[in-house]
Amino acid sequence: MVQSRPASFLRTSQAVSRFLFPRWTNAILPFVLVVGAVAPLYAVMFVAYGFSPKTLEAGYMPHQPVPYSHATHAGKLGMDCRYCHNSVEQASFAAVPATQTCMNCHTQIHKDSPKLAKVRASYETGMPIEWVKVHKLGDYAYFNHAAHVNRGVGCVECHGRVDQMEEVYRVAPLSMGWCLECHREPVDRLRPVSQVTNLAWDQKKEMTREQREQLQKTFNIHPNENCSTCHR
Amino acid sequence: MPRIFIYVGLIALLCLLIPPAVIARVRATPNPNLPIHIIQDMDFQSKFKTQAVNPLFADRRTIRPPVQNAVARGETYVDGLLYEGVTDGAWTQTLPPQVPLTVATLKRGQERFNIYCSVCHGETGNGDGLVNKRAMELVANTNGPVNGTVWVTAKNLVHDETVTVQPVGQIFSSITHGIRNMAGYGSQIPVEDRWAIAAYVKTLQRSQNARPSDVPAGTTLAEAK
Repeated sequence: MVQSRPASFLRTSQAVSRFLFPRWTNAILPFVLVVGAVAPLYAVMFVAYGFSPKTLEAGYMPHQPVPYSHATHAGKLGMDCRYCHNSVEQASFAAVPATQTCMNCHTQIHKDSPKLAKVRASYETGMPIEWVKVHKLGDYAYFNHAAHVNRGVGCVECHGRVDQMEEVYRVAPLSMGWCLECHREPVDRLRPVSQVTNLAWDQKKEMTREQREQLQKTFNIHPNENCSTCHR
Repeated sequence: MPRIFIYVGLIALLCLLIPPAVIARVRATPNPNLPIHIIQDMDFQSKFKTQAVNPLFADRRTIRPPVQNAVARGETYVDGLLYEGVTDGAWTQTLPPQVPLTVATLKRGQERFNIYCSVCHGETGNGDGLVNKRAMELVANTNGPVNGTVWVTAKNLVHDETVTVQPVGQIFSSITHGIRNMAGYGSQIPVEDRWAIAAYVKTLQRSQNARPSDVPAGTTLAEAK
């Protein structure tokens, strides 16, 4: 390129006007067009894929103050979710249990374990253990646990296989689009109330679609897509 | 065309693959850091939700514990039969009037028993719950009990005569206040559910000690099934 410029290139404006792109740049032109067309697409895909709640929100696995293992308690020991989260059937929230609930067993089992030091301290002082919230919704969304678990939406639909998690992490993106997926087509997410806390149970294997449709009728489920259903 | 342009172009193309690869990796791996929240909307409002941290109080609780000696509406606990299982100074043999003895009550009791009690006492009440088994393993460890575990085997509720002779009111009381090494479940289980569980324990004791004479006369085994 430099070779093709006249020596007087920097000195006279006339020389500039005589600058010509070398002939080989013609070959680039089609590429420029292709790049021009693909670049916006790439940018859109990047934002849609990279900024999606499935990328940014799902997979959040905060470290908890006490290394509590759901895999041990809910998995190996087969404890029901409601043993600890016992407000879930009456209240909008599934309460994190009081320290007393831990101490039902841990006054005796592993009672000197260093991992339980904070639990014992909480039990003695009455100060709560500051567990870190994993599943946080926008503050304008009013999700009601009781409304869902009492009508056959299993814990596993939103929380995943918590009984296999050493540390709990967010499986679902918890985005509005994700909520609406089920509000628009709930049939596949319904199960008998007796199986709600059974995380290993899969209604798509254990029931036919007709049975699930029947469940929807029995529970009288007509999920609402109005803004005010969740936003108040 | 100078070669350098071709190389730079190819490298730039390859670089375009990096962001998708990074995103795919982020999607596949759990991350302990707070999610990057690009569009804030009104997701984080200056209000306190259930069980959130409130820095204004010394214990940082948003939900305030009731003031000492405060009595909530409906929680007077003056009904000795309902809240203590005692009538005329003795354990009640029947359920309080607030909890009717129906199949629905027993089903409820079964469900609650399987949630709260079966972890130690087992689903049939014979004391073979998984937590009980695990605790026995920890105690029987060859190098001594793990982390100072002490454990007395969970009671066999259906065969141990010290339990089977108990009136339903006494079983209710044990559930509510705990007994020996068992913690009380009064704060964890609503009072009606505790009665339902007590009634179900009596049902289990009956069913686990069934005799041939319990089969109605003239019924064959095939019919009974």
